[in-house]
Amino acid sequence: MLLLDYQNVLIQSVLTERFSGSRAPPASIDQTVSDFDGVTFHISTPETKTKIVVSINIRCFRELVQYGAEQVLQRVYDQYVIEPEVGYDFSVLVDLESLPAEKEERDELIKNISLMKRHAMAAPKPLRSILPKKPPQGVREGGDIMAIHYREEEAIYVKASHDRVTVIFSTVFREETDRVFGKVFIQEFVDARRRAIQNAPQVLFRNDPLWSCKECQRMPDVISHIQTFRDYFHYHIKASKAYIHSRMRRRTADFLQVLRRARPENEEKEKKTASGRTFKVQGA
Amino acid sequence: MANQTPAVVMDNGTGFSKLGFAGNDSPSFVFPTAIATKGPAGGAGGTGSGRPAVANKPSFLTGGAGPGGHLSGKRGTEDLDFFIGDEAIAASGGPGYGLHYPIRHGQIENWDHMERFWSNSIFKYLRVEPEDHYFLLTEPPLNPPENRENTAEIFFESFNCAGLYIAVQAVLALAASWTSAKVSDRSLTGTVIDSGDGVTHVIPVAEGYVIGSSIKSIPIAGRDITYFVQSLLRDRGEADSSLKTAQEIKEEHCYVCPDIVKEFSRYDRDPTKFAKHVVRQPGGREVTVDVGYERFLAPEIFFNPEIYSSDFLTPLPVVVDNVIQQSPIDVRRGLYKNIVLSGGSTLYKDFGRRLQRDIKHLVDARIRASEVRSGGARSGGLEVQVITHKRQRHGPWFGGSLLGQTPEFRSYCHTKAEYQEYGPSIVRRFALLGGPGGS
Repeated sequence: MLLLDYQNVLIQSVLTERFSGSRAPPASIDQTVSDFDGVTFHISTPETKTKIVVSINIRCFRELVQYGAEQVLQRVYDQYVIEPEVGYDFSVLVDLESLPAEKEERDELIKNISLMKRHAMAAPKPLRSILPKKPPQGVREGGDIMAIHYREEEAIYVKASHDRVTVIFSTVFREETDRVFGKVFIQEFVDARRRAIQNAPQVLFRNDPLWSCKECQRMPDVISHIQTFRDYFHYHIKASKAYIHSRMRRRTADFLQVLRRARPENEEKEKKTASGRTFKVQGA
Repeated sequence: MANQTPAVVMDNGTGFSKLGFAGNDSPSFVFPTAIATKGPAGGAGGTGSGRPAVANKPSFLTGGAGPGGHLSGKRGTEDLDFFIGDEAIAASGGPGYGLHYPIRHGQIENWDHMERFWSNSIFKYLRVEPEDHYFLLTEPPLNPPENRENTAEIFFESFNCAGLYIAVQAVLALAASWTSAKVSDRSLTGTVIDSGDGVTHVIPVAEGYVIGSSIKSIPIAGRDITYFVQSLLRDRGEADSSLKTAQEIKEEHCYVCPDIVKEFSRYDRDPTKFAKHVVRQPGGREVTVDVGYERFLAPEIFFNPEIYSSDFLTPLPVVVDNVIQQSPIDVRRGLYKNIVLSGGSTLYKDFGRRLQRDIKHLVDARIRASEVRSGGARSGGLEVQVITHKRQRHGPWFGGSLLGQTPEFRSYCHTKAEYQEYGPSIVRRFALLGGPGGS
């Protein structure tokens, strides 16, 4: 697994199971699940067992609303949107009895709901403007920087210029070793453009709090990539550690084997006569 | 609770892993504890095998260690090329992947695989930042403390998790029984009968601590019941007697009867008792299989093992009684009063009632005998109670979910800072979650 998935696997699997309608009586659900970046989902069947409500709680929803999240979500979910549940920012309701008939449409709906976090976070305009081939119209050089404080101390800053979009990630490492790993890892990104991948986005990073910078060109998956960047980054730091640990374990096992082999093979055993008496070694 | 992230509860068993968030009433994910990695399936005994080899070792190190070049010889991203859970089973069917089960007999055998299994379950399935969440893990009774330390090393050093609590499965199963209406005092004293797929354990727990010396295991569990059903189907020459069919029949039709002889005659009088089971075979053909006496005979192997096995002959109620009799005398009353079922093979209808009746018979007989011997003394009697509840199937997980959502859970955990202060040995001791003073 190189890239993290964008969708929430649990929502996807629950909805897929329910939509397929294999089990005759659908049971009630009431699950609170987390996603990256402190996002909380709540899947429940409050009224009847066929009506599934999926709610999302995002830390920075207010900021996202400023950047037009509501329109985006409204456009994606359209007739499914309902009044947000208490304690959550946004809710959709799916009635199993009035599902779209076509399988493709259902799959599309499952996909969209499991990507709810992505859709919400994709609200800021400059991010969306990455998608079309044309350069974003009406965005002037030196426009506003949009900040999404998606975690307590960390944020994504997005800045649009006439020919490029700059995305700035800030991340905090609590752990000294993580910082070292992180540095190596980002260095790879910086070098990627120089080496082989011509169209890799330009990456700059700073240690002082001027954040790491990433300039993106137009790619279809970019929005999703940008959102999971931080988690992707942390995931790989951890995977590297796991890899190093497995090598360390192997090395220890090998050293232990060497130590075991260093033991003399047949230690002097006491020699006995048939009657059980022993010889005394001279001078011992 | 406004911005507090829910604790992650992970119950990694030999067969299946249960993952989810505290506060939910069922695990979010249940999948096999299996990992498929590139290369042939290994894992055959020996200390060195199953671990990746070190690349470019000096020759004095290689001798006998087997061919190198598993992981560490590779400089790319091969270490990320693996699947876990159901995907692993699917991948191992194709070429190039070997299937491994990192947990054997409840204990983690291969830490490399387990570390990657955890990494994938956290990042791919649960989708959480380990830094933001507290983790509640489970361990089998009699888990060596070194295993706990290894687990803590992985969770704190690799994943930087915020806090960690490792609880014994049997204790969590006791906590799960608090949802039952029969339980009034929320004590952590009781006997846990944990019957999964491979083996059945009878574990006495006194005030949250497992009485290790009296644990007994029984080599009869879910898989044996399936085999038994299968052999009965074969004897009758049914149209379909695959293991899958046998398992479906076991799960859908079986129940525990109070008396086999009476049940046999009842079946003979009333033919409606015989059920039909429809099997959809690959290829779209439908076959109907008759379901007869195995409906009550299959779970009966717990109570009369001689009908199935020739080497293990002690019935479950006798084992439970022996276990309690071997425990310290001052907790026996509590152990008899609170016999808790957990695991998939205890879900048969009336399983608990039958067990309670049989144990009660044993206890009463013993009391009468000692009354006679004492010459006239009267016993006050002994309460035997077997508790069945709705969360039995994932008992340990649900107990973890229940305890993990309490507000004081976090204060019981060891945090990363504490770990760094004391080192891995800190996880040898945990304050008793849900014990006296807890809610």
